[in-house]
Amino acid sequence: MSRAPRLAATLAVGLLAGLAGAGPASALDVPRFVDEAAVAGIEHRYTGGWEHFVGGGVAAFDCSGDGFPELYFAGGTDPAALYLNRSRPGRPFDFAEVGDTPLDLTGVTGAYPLDVDGDGVQDLIVLRVGGNAVFRGLGGCRFELANEVWRFEPGDEWSTAASAIWEAEARWPTIAIGNYVDRRAPGAPFGTCHDNHLHRPDGEDGWGPRRLLRPGYCALSMLFSDWNRDGVPDLRVSNDRQYYRGGEEQLWRLPPGASPTLYSRAQGWRELKIWGMGIAAQDLTGDGYPEYFLTSMADNKLQTLAREEGFGAVGSELAPAYEDIAFRLGATVHRPYVDGETMPSTAWHAEFADVNNDGFPDLFVAKGNVEGMVDFARRDPNNLLIGGPDLEFVEGAPQAGVVTFARARGAVATDLDLDGLVDLVVVNREAPAEVWRNLGAGGTVPDGPRAMGNWVGLRLEQKGPNRHAIGAWVEVRAGAHVQRREITVGGGHASGRAGWIHLGVGTAERVEVRVQWPDGQWGPWVRAFANHFMLIRRLEERPVYWFPETAPVGGQGAGQVTAVPDEE
Amino acid sequence: MAAVLAASFLAAPAAAAGEPAPVPGDERAVTRHLAHGDIAAGDPDMEAVLAHGRMLFEARFTVEDGAGRPAATAAEIPTRRRTGDQPLYLRTSGPDATACAGCHNQPDTGGAGDFVANAFVAPQDIEWDFESVTPDLSMERGTTHMFGSGLLELVAREMTADLHALRAEALAEARATGAPASRDLVTKGVDFGTITATPDGYVDVGAVEGVHPDLIVKPFGQKASSISLRRFTVTAYNSHHGMQPVERFGARWTGTDDFDEDGRTAELTEGDITAAVLWQASLPPPGRTAPDHPVLREAARRGEAVFAEIGCASCHRPTLPLDSLVFTEPGSFNPAGTLRAGEAAPVSLDLAGRFEGLLERDAEGRWLVPAFTDLKRHVIADAEDAFFANELITQDFVPRDRFRTAPLWGVGSTAPYGHRGDLTTLAGSIGHHAGDARPAREAFEALSDADRGALIEFLETLTIDPAAGAGSGGPAAAPVEVTPRRQAAARP
Repeated sequence: MSRAPRLAATLAVGLLAGLAGAGPASALDVPRFVDEAAVAGIEHRYTGGWEHFVGGGVAAFDCSGDGFPELYFAGGTDPAALYLNRSRPGRPFDFAEVGDTPLDLTGVTGAYPLDVDGDGVQDLIVLRVGGNAVFRGLGGCRFELANEVWRFEPGDEWSTAASAIWEAEARWPTIAIGNYVDRRAPGAPFGTCHDNHLHRPDGEDGWGPRRLLRPGYCALSMLFSDWNRDGVPDLRVSNDRQYYRGGEEQLWRLPPGASPTLYSRAQGWRELKIWGMGIAAQDLTGDGYPEYFLTSMADNKLQTLAREEGFGAVGSELAPAYEDIAFRLGATVHRPYVDGETMPSTAWHAEFADVNNDGFPDLFVAKGNVEGMVDFARRDPNNLLIGGPDLEFVEGAPQAGVVTFARARGAVATDLDLDGLVDLVVVNREAPAEVWRNLGAGGTVPDGPRAMGNWVGLRLEQKGPNRHAIGAWVEVRAGAHVQRREITVGGGHASGRAGWIHLGVGTAERVEVRVQWPDGQWGPWVRAFANHFMLIRRLEERPVYWFPETAPVGGQGAGQVTAVPDEE
Repeated sequence: MAAVLAASFLAAPAAAAGEPAPVPGDERAVTRHLAHGDIAAGDPDMEAVLAHGRMLFEARFTVEDGAGRPAATAAEIPTRRRTGDQPLYLRTSGPDATACAGCHNQPDTGGAGDFVANAFVAPQDIEWDFESVTPDLSMERGTTHMFGSGLLELVAREMTADLHALRAEALAEARATGAPASRDLVTKGVDFGTITATPDGYVDVGAVEGVHPDLIVKPFGQKASSISLRRFTVTAYNSHHGMQPVERFGARWTGTDDFDEDGRTAELTEGDITAAVLWQASLPPPGRTAPDHPVLREAARRGEAVFAEIGCASCHRPTLPLDSLVFTEPGSFNPAGTLRAGEAAPVSLDLAGRFEGLLERDAEGRWLVPAFTDLKRHVIADAEDAFFANELITQDFVPRDRFRTAPLWGVGSTAPYGHRGDLTTLAGSIGHHAGDARPAREAFEALSDADRGALIEFLETLTIDPAAGAGSGGPAAAPVEVTPRRQAAARP
């Protein structure tokens, strides 16, 4: 039985309590961004041949213990690179490459941070062409390869997707790995998609033998998400129709202790064939269930649970029947918005983030031609869709100043300098990565950033192995407006982030926060003041406020570092 | 028809002095709006800005101005109404007044109000209207006076800066030493408790007292929960009049130019709010009026000493020091939805000239603001006497039994008393002090009749002179006779 069954409701019901029914968006803020990659000392490209036409991810997570997220870039045939974040609020970005690290592998397609062993230090899942790796974080941005000690089977596939979750009662995470084409199969690449794999725990300190998730349809993104809020996250897989035969988008059901099974037509799952590249999840409609944005070539999809009579449920269970509302909400972004281009776009990473802190999620979509596909746009800039109270998205990239024509792949939207404004990192194929500093309402670098709406930065913590509460749901109530955020590992395009959970709260100076922890237990409403970072500990009724270091680190753009102070 | 008429008004040619030409039948109360940028550029000049601010405080807004909010509630955050039609005015959840001065009028514009002018303050998340005055739906508030409010905000801004500096110090020390570092949160002699920072950047605010964990001293509202005159003013225009200031209810935050769906847009501009705030800030601080009769005069003199002796002055601090009298708008600590420093050119009003002779200085040259408050919240009720903890809901995350130390300046001109305005005498008000204030209350009750009377006489000398200084916002007014409360009650 679903914990919160929702039968045929209309899209309008529950939409953004408080502001529902507002008139058309006319002047919502678009923040200004400036690319500070060069200023920051970040020079990185995602390179390589056909095996690196896809992938190109970046992971943002704090490994130094100072709260500021470091950046780990996939390099393709070039070595991957870890950059220490020395930025400070209100100052230009400042990064230094960390040398002498086991992370600087070649063949890396992407990475996802995750505190596997619950020791409070982020570990890292690294996806590669031939031999994935799990690195244990040791603090101070030092890592060690943990495949052996944690019994992680690296495989030898062309891996391009990953997601992780703690299954019920488990003391070790389950990791799903998505694979692309079986490049050694006869007739490759067409019709030769590799199967995917599931790494389930064996005891409390490692994984058992990996299991097949068959059939595989050339996965380019995976996400464990509790789509029906029944307390058991299922695995959504977005697949590239370019190479599969008879494939489609997939939703795996993972009953605890039982083998995974695909949701079927009989259970409500509808066939969808796209060039699936990336998944972003966000409860946009305010009904408590996530919508899923799926990137593709040409028109992208924004899926919401189907509301038509006869589809919303099968028996008493909520059915995974989705309908597309991308067109209705202005989110198809199927072709470039510049040059009068008529060729379709190619979209990769997607991520919801409130870049203007108005309380309404915005959507960043990384785009770029695969390589030389003449039937698709060659000049294909990224999208920065600004969301508003009416749920519709409006293109804000030109106004934001983020229009470039490099072939983007992975990305993250995260607050790099902890000034309360979400920044953007974009990995480009055969071109320099972009590191966009959000200046908010500020126009120029010398003026510095200028705040937009109010915001909160949250970090969850509970005792036990799943320390940072992957699988939890966070609710932030500002007046009558409730935002919900599922804490996940996975999705996007080979890119992930860990750390502060950022939510814009508009004009609210006070909010209430509550958490539904991964085991389903609700925490209390916690009162919090906006424009602060804060730790929400399970069962505690007050947040613990946190403040970033503001003193500059000295040696702006000092190149490479090998020793990182560990503040943990 | 009305919209066409309004449009024609808006298009009316401007007069030479910048004033629009009058249009017969124009029923708007406000025929001219100011741009903040123009104010910052000095045109109009400050006296004209203050006059505009006063006009906005006294204007009886009409539906032609945008009065009423048929689709929005009184909530601080732009919030849609979930209930259906309601009358233009509703005495409970509002709008409940056509003009600020409809309530703030004792002893003059900007002043306090009688019980009949009480407001029913809605929680910030209210989505409905309420037609009851029961305390489970709203906080009932007497109308407070705004005299000296600019000084209160300036003091609060300096206190906030001090507290934030102390927090930064503690964090820096903890990070530098690798050990927890504490700071006593003392500013201007007021003790807000203690914080402890840890080397990893967390700050324990469990021992913070009388101020929110954000360490922003909020000088306005009975719960000390409104950061600035501007924040309060923007909220009040929407709540009480249905006049929606652009800076919070405009398209930037709501996606529409007419959030309340009353057919009017840009009901109050940023410049209008700046003017209204500056005018309130310019209101002179209340002073003192010595009784004519020598017996009462001597009693008042003695009463001031008693006030200190029995501990009243430990919270109702006679003065708070202030470094600068330059009131700059917008303020530094406003949250989004209230014009913030950096979002618009600063406009400064130097209160020093306007308040010439009204403020004393201490040995360090600091101005002494005689507000008789510490701008801190205290527990003012207990199980034995819960009179002041009458509400059933919390306001702005402040527990029901805690209130800001009421600034006593002007108390001699602003009966009735108490946050609900339901105490007719000062002695009665003192008699309900409990919680943290119980020792002072018991000391008051233990006084001799003469000393109790003396203390009351002292409080009666704390009066408002609307014409003090040069801050009335209009043409220089002739000195008016100070009207103590007792006489005020007999005014027509």
